[in-house]
Amino acid sequence: MKRWWAVTALALAALPATASVWGEEQGKRPAALEPCDASWDRGDRAAARQCYTDLLRSDDLAARAEAWWALGDVKSANEVFRDAIKAQPENPDLRVRWGYLYLQTHQEGEALALFGEALEIDEKCLPAKLGLARVFAERFEDKAQKLVDEALEANPESVEAHLLQGRLRLEVSNLAEADKSLDKALELAAAQQRSPLELYALKASVDLLRETTDSEWTKKALEYNPRYGEIYSIPARYYIITRRYREAIELYEKAVQVDPENWSAHADLGVNLLREAREQEGRKHLEIAFQGDPFSAKTVNTLRLLDSFEHFKTFSNKDLLRDEGLQPTAEDLAKPEVIVRLHEKEADLLRPYVIELADEAVASFSKKYGFTPQRPVWVELYPDHDDFAVRTMGMPGVGLLGVTFGYLVAMDSPSGRKPGSFHWGTTLWHEMAHVFTLEATDHLVPRWFSEGVSMYEEWEARPNWGEQISPDFINALQEGKLLPVADLDEGFIRPSYPNQIAVSYFQAGLICRLIDREWGTEKLVAMLTEFGKDRSTADAIRTALGVEPEEFDERFNVYLKMRLGAVAEKEGLEKWRKEWKALLEAAREKDWSAVIEKGESVKELYPDYVEAGNAYVALAQAYEEEGARDKAIAELEQYRDHGGRQPETLEKLAGWLQEADRRDDSIKTLTEVIYIWPGDEGLHVSLGEQLLAAGRSQEALREFRAALAMGPIDKAAAHYRLAEAYYKLSDRPQTRRHLLYALEAAPGYRPAQKLLLEISKN
Amino acid sequence: MRALFLGMAVGLAGLSPLGAASQFVIIEGLGGAPEYSERFADEAGRVAAAARRSSGDDANVRLLRGPEARLDNLVKVFSGLQALSPDDSLAVILIGHGTDDGEQYKFNIPGPDITAERLANLLDKIPVKRQLVVNTTSASGGAVDALKGPSRIVVSATKNGRERNATVFSRYWADAFEAPEADQDKNETITVAEAFQFAQAKVAAYFDEAKRLATEHPSIEGELAESFVLARLGASAEALNDPALRPLTAKREKLEIAIDELKLQKDAMSEEDYFNKLQALLIDLAEVQAEITAKTEGQP
Repeated sequence: MKRWWAVTALALAALPATASVWGEEQGKRPAALEPCDASWDRGDRAAARQCYTDLLRSDDLAARAEAWWALGDVKSANEVFRDAIKAQPENPDLRVRWGYLYLQTHQEGEALALFGEALEIDEKCLPAKLGLARVFAERFEDKAQKLVDEALEANPESVEAHLLQGRLRLEVSNLAEADKSLDKALELAAAQQRSPLELYALKASVDLLRETTDSEWTKKALEYNPRYGEIYSIPARYYIITRRYREAIELYEKAVQVDPENWSAHADLGVNLLREAREQEGRKHLEIAFQGDPFSAKTVNTLRLLDSFEHFKTFSNKDLLRDEGLQPTAEDLAKPEVIVRLHEKEADLLRPYVIELADEAVASFSKKYGFTPQRPVWVELYPDHDDFAVRTMGMPGVGLLGVTFGYLVAMDSPSGRKPGSFHWGTTLWHEMAHVFTLEATDHLVPRWFSEGVSMYEEWEARPNWGEQISPDFINALQEGKLLPVADLDEGFIRPSYPNQIAVSYFQAGLICRLIDREWGTEKLVAMLTEFGKDRSTADAIRTALGVEPEEFDERFNVYLKMRLGAVAEKEGLEKWRKEWKALLEAAREKDWSAVIEKGESVKELYPDYVEAGNAYVALAQAYEEEGARDKAIAELEQYRDHGGRQPETLEKLAGWLQEADRRDDSIKTLTEVIYIWPGDEGLHVSLGEQLLAAGRSQEALREFRAALAMGPIDKAAAHYRLAEAYYKLSDRPQTRRHLLYALEAAPGYRPAQKLLLEISKN
Repeated sequence: MRALFLGMAVGLAGLSPLGAASQFVIIEGLGGAPEYSERFADEAGRVAAAARRSSGDDANVRLLRGPEARLDNLVKVFSGLQALSPDDSLAVILIGHGTDDGEQYKFNIPGPDITAERLANLLDKIPVKRQLVVNTTSASGGAVDALKGPSRIVVSATKNGRERNATVFSRYWADAFEAPEADQDKNETITVAEAFQFAQAKVAAYFDEAKRLATEHPSIEGELAESFVLARLGASAEALNDPALRPLTAKREKLEIAIDELKLQKDAMSEEDYFNKLQALLIDLAEVQAEITAKTEGQP
């Protein structure tokens, strides 16, 4: 196995190496380290460092490696560990310790490999299993639980295993059970004379999640070791999991105050300050973190992203109207501020659409949920998906479309994804709903309800917005995999089968829709109010809806059957698949009468299906081939209204509608495409021309501006269209300006010449 | 863009360069697979149709496909073109697959392939002073060095012979013949430079939208691209060739030159002064154009 260090050795000073007072559960360490570890554990770092320095001359390679590590020279530690393993290739503890070194330097893959090698040497090696469990727990993978259970079975007296069990329970907010595990671990640690510090930090985390911010465990920890910054940074992690970023920031600030050498706390503080749009402070802490720990990809990526912000532009909704030459009213000026950050290459194109939609969301949700944003709402769109991922998680490769951190929304830009694969409008609407559910409850809302409201709001926003019910969800329903409402958060935080998160999104959304439809919108708001009081899901349902959660689940099942219809019945999905396959075959054979015959039945079975090969498009093609344009139009209108998103199909529909003298419907269809793929110059031109013909000159102006913002090949025509729109709006100076631009590029451009002559005469 | 305007002015003065390519030879190569065969046939057909519309005489447009695209027939066709006069213009468009082994580019046709050197040799024997070769195939960049010459514009779909994927350039080149947006200066003619810029932008947008790494980068060699007219969209030719309109067209030409000269001074002027002067010239030009239009089309 090839192992190397990507960067040269820079001192990782004052990293708390595992002390012997922590026993052997993270791998057995030489006894010579014990006095050094004891000093470190009590916060006497000067003594500890002197002690470790003395060990650098030791003949024991393992002791030397640990000493280098404790002194912050991880490169030397790595080299000595390699030599130690060469000397003792069958020693599993050395591999476990080396694995922890990699874990600390953010190289989880190498750590996993080393823990695995230790298990190959000794399949019962408990420290290796616990090491694996730590890695999986960091990644929120359910394999962690299995390994912890195995460890507890093998050794019920394992402090580390009880500690990890407590952590896992904390992460799903099972505070009572977490407490039990941690109490057991504390009892064992005392009996085994082990360091209690991490347990104190986890106990403080339990208190914190119970809203006890002044925990006795914090005091105990600082008495034990006044430089134990983790007493703040470990609880902060649980605030992050529950999306309470502001409170987490306060804790990280205390962590770096107590221990200015806690580089990971500086990094986390920096990242979370950025989530609060506090960029200067965030950068400062990230730079400190980088100086101390240059191995963190999260820190490096985030600093690079911050550097790239020079290529982004920010705009406020307060300026939009003025920039469009309109006078804002007092009402406009009084509305909450929305600030958008867009990449310079697409800022001029996207700005009006993003601001307008965000404004609409703020107005709609403020009214509905009785909450007005108390600070400006930041909306950031990233054309590079990896930049968005770094913004949200510090690492590229995140499979999300958008994330909300309270008053900050970050999401993919439409240009970051293939046309038709992403509806940026519905994504922004979804994220804006999070702003309200998070902020109205001071971030106490459970994940399932926040996601549920966002899904429901997407469906409410426009008849064809929101995600359509997927075959995966129907499968999960038929296989009895949907969770009871009281446990639905588990489906998001610790999924137990592939696609469970996506299934949980649909379930949460449909639950919110059921509440709205059967109990009324005010009860949905009442649920949110209950969550703001930190009530559990079960209690919120009892109080707001007046039913037991179990009864709610039964009513939800009834609602699902009604909502999904035939496809949700036993073998309904199979029936649909079979008929759909026959439809596709008929379409491939160009047997249009068969397509028409089968298409209607396929559509009826599963009307929500609008993905590739859907019945609407097949039917539209069949009707068109048969010369029945009206019917073809009707099919594509259904496709659009059920949430079909392929831009070229919608543009075809718009063209047919225009030919059929249905201009308003054509405009409606093209307007929909803007929320899917606005990066098409022809779309803006076509929409603008139809708007202009319909006398909607101001709206036409926006489309023609968008076309110009795309840097068209034909600049003369782009300016001429703007001149025409301004002319209809009687804006003489702008008409002249754009006419001159058009004719400057193409002096012989006849329509522009005619208009120039006309305005000159007038 | 400055070159474009100067090119046009020269063309107006001399008249002859404004004539669209007088001869088109479109060669459709082998597809290999049905999907490519269908695509190449469609694109070659569209280019040929556009060329016929532009040329005004179907006899001037040769679409060579199937057996007609065999090497022996190509030699025959190009030998026949040796009868053209130096004042004629010739456009040769290759649609299909090309290969380049690092030593030699070959265009894949039925029977033995034709190499870039062989094609250059055939073209060199044609006395036409203004030649255009548009090579839309994969690896077409590998043919440029062999084909380029002082009186020949060479357009290729790829920048070198190592870009070996099937290209999309040909479909956009075909579109350029009839796309009003390709006519950037709105003079109702599409020059090679305009067609190239149009197709190049469309190729870039294609890969950008598909979120794929671009596997082709079109290139152009030669100095006549701004004045080599590929297609005519309107009826301006009649106006230019009508002696009765010569005073008006001369006036228009003078105004166009004046506008070009003013644009050169733009940076040295205040914006207000520049646009005031530009407006005055543009109004004069618009009035002259209106007179020409009234005389040629019977309406202002």
